[in-house]
Amino acid sequence: MAKEKILRHSGLVRLVHWSIALSTFTLIITGMFQLPLARRYFIDQLPGLFWTGDYSITVLVHYIAAAILLSAVSVHVVYHVIRKEYNLIPRKGDMKESYQIIKSMFGFCEEPKSDKYLAEQRLAYAYMAFSFLLILVTGVLKVIKNFPTMQFSETFLSWVTNIHNLATFMIIFGIFAHLAAFAIKANWPLLPSMFTGKVDLEYAKHRHSIWCIKGVGQKEKK
Amino acid sequence: MSNISRRSFIKRTVAAGAASGVILSGVNKIAGASETGSNKVGTLIDLTKCDGCKGQKVPACVTACKSKNESRFPEPVENIQNYWPQKKYENWSDKRDLTKRLTPYNWTFVQNVKVDGKEVSVPRRCMHCDNPPCVNLCPFSAMEQTPEGTTQVNPNVCFGGAKCRDVCPWGIPARQAGVGLYLKVAPKLAGGGVMYKCDLCYDRIKNNQSPACVEACPKGAISYGEKVELRKVAYEKAKDINGYVYGDKENGGTSTFYISPVPFEKIHKELEKQKATQPNPEAPGFPTMPVEVGNFLDTANGMASAVLLAPVATAFAAGITAYKTMKGKGEE
Repeated sequence: MAKEKILRHSGLVRLVHWSIALSTFTLIITGMFQLPLARRYFIDQLPGLFWTGDYSITVLVHYIAAAILLSAVSVHVVYHVIRKEYNLIPRKGDMKESYQIIKSMFGFCEEPKSDKYLAEQRLAYAYMAFSFLLILVTGVLKVIKNFPTMQFSETFLSWVTNIHNLATFMIIFGIFAHLAAFAIKANWPLLPSMFTGKVDLEYAKHRHSIWCIKGVGQKEKK
Repeated sequence: MSNISRRSFIKRTVAAGAASGVILSGVNKIAGASETGSNKVGTLIDLTKCDGCKGQKVPACVTACKSKNESRFPEPVENIQNYWPQKKYENWSDKRDLTKRLTPYNWTFVQNVKVDGKEVSVPRRCMHCDNPPCVNLCPFSAMEQTPEGTTQVNPNVCFGGAKCRDVCPWGIPARQAGVGLYLKVAPKLAGGGVMYKCDLCYDRIKNNQSPACVEACPKGAISYGEKVELRKVAYEKAKDINGYVYGDKENGGTSTFYISPVPFEKIHKELEKQKATQPNPEAPGFPTMPVEVGNFLDTANGMASAVLLAPVATAFAAGITAYKTMKGKGEE
């Protein structure tokens, strides 16, 4: 018998997630190829990768991916702010709770009951949101400075460039940590929800009981 | 959640899109302000006057440039490593006396061509572009456009990736391996030295002096001054001699204006022929003169408004969607 499911992520949320994921991946790749890597390391000579050695192509793809990322982020912010959905914003005590969750993975204590997101997910979100804010603001400034007749001071542009490069590494680290979370078996049931939007009801009741109770409460109100 | 009013929806959506709006309106403001700026300098190179210092082994402008900048020329380490996995590196330190092309030890040179029976000598160096792709696209911001409109390399930051040369329509900056920051990081794996090129004698400019090449020219073929003025003079002179101007429309505009009695298309063709006879015809350092060559960032800048407008449009769409879904919920 099929397990009962509960909707965790709407279609729009999944669209935003995958738009951000794919555009970020494209931005990292095309960003790396803004460095003179492709021709030096013969990457442009690999089948189908001729474009990696052509800055005029990589910079255009970088711009297109940036437009997608900026759009997805603006949808994410506007949509959830209007709906007053702040489930991913860190709360007081999240550091302590994250520590407890990690301890529980090694069997030292029982895992604390979670809301829609685990405390560590909220902290990870804050880290990623901050990194994306840095990269997007500096990225937009980099686009603006390329316009004819735009001129900024060297010091300002150095800061913009260095923060953009630093934020790139912050995001790469964040993605690794995000993916590494799925090496932990306890997190596996969350994985299908990024594709189908749904998680097993039993899993949700067990791990995200605060969220489930809220959901029932809301339904009863209606 | 369902008690959102139309007014609060509009308020929140407008607020969310405001940031992007501010950025976009800012573009026009700053662009407008710099248009009127008159502190930009430039040079005018009159090819009706330049004869390449006929009879002299090295033209005076080249000698003056070399002697002025000698203290800034690279002194590479003895054992320069290959640009792994490539089996090569760029080294001009054993060819310091070359004056027939651009090298890290020769930031200007004179090309001689024969067009329509006329001998034309063309001093060449960085054009100091209005919207320099070399400055804009350096991954480490190692290049700078000064408030006066000249461009220069910061040798302490430059990693020698030579991207500036790849995106320059004339391939001006020259690379020397075995010097610079890359030696302190991972010399075998990343970087390639430091890029060198004319900075229009920025230190002299700041001291209200003209560039060394301008001062040294015995024919007065190179003029230095306010860019707007020089541009005007260039077109007037070109009109008088029924000649041509190069450097005003190229790469989106530069601060170097050439005046020639013969069309630059013909000079370009002759230079292409000469380039083909160079020891390594593919190598940069022997620039041609493509007429009205575009700026590397033209296409990207064309797309830039879309990059900046897309999030504003999607923000409104998201606001409408959020409002509709909430309204829907409220009516359930």
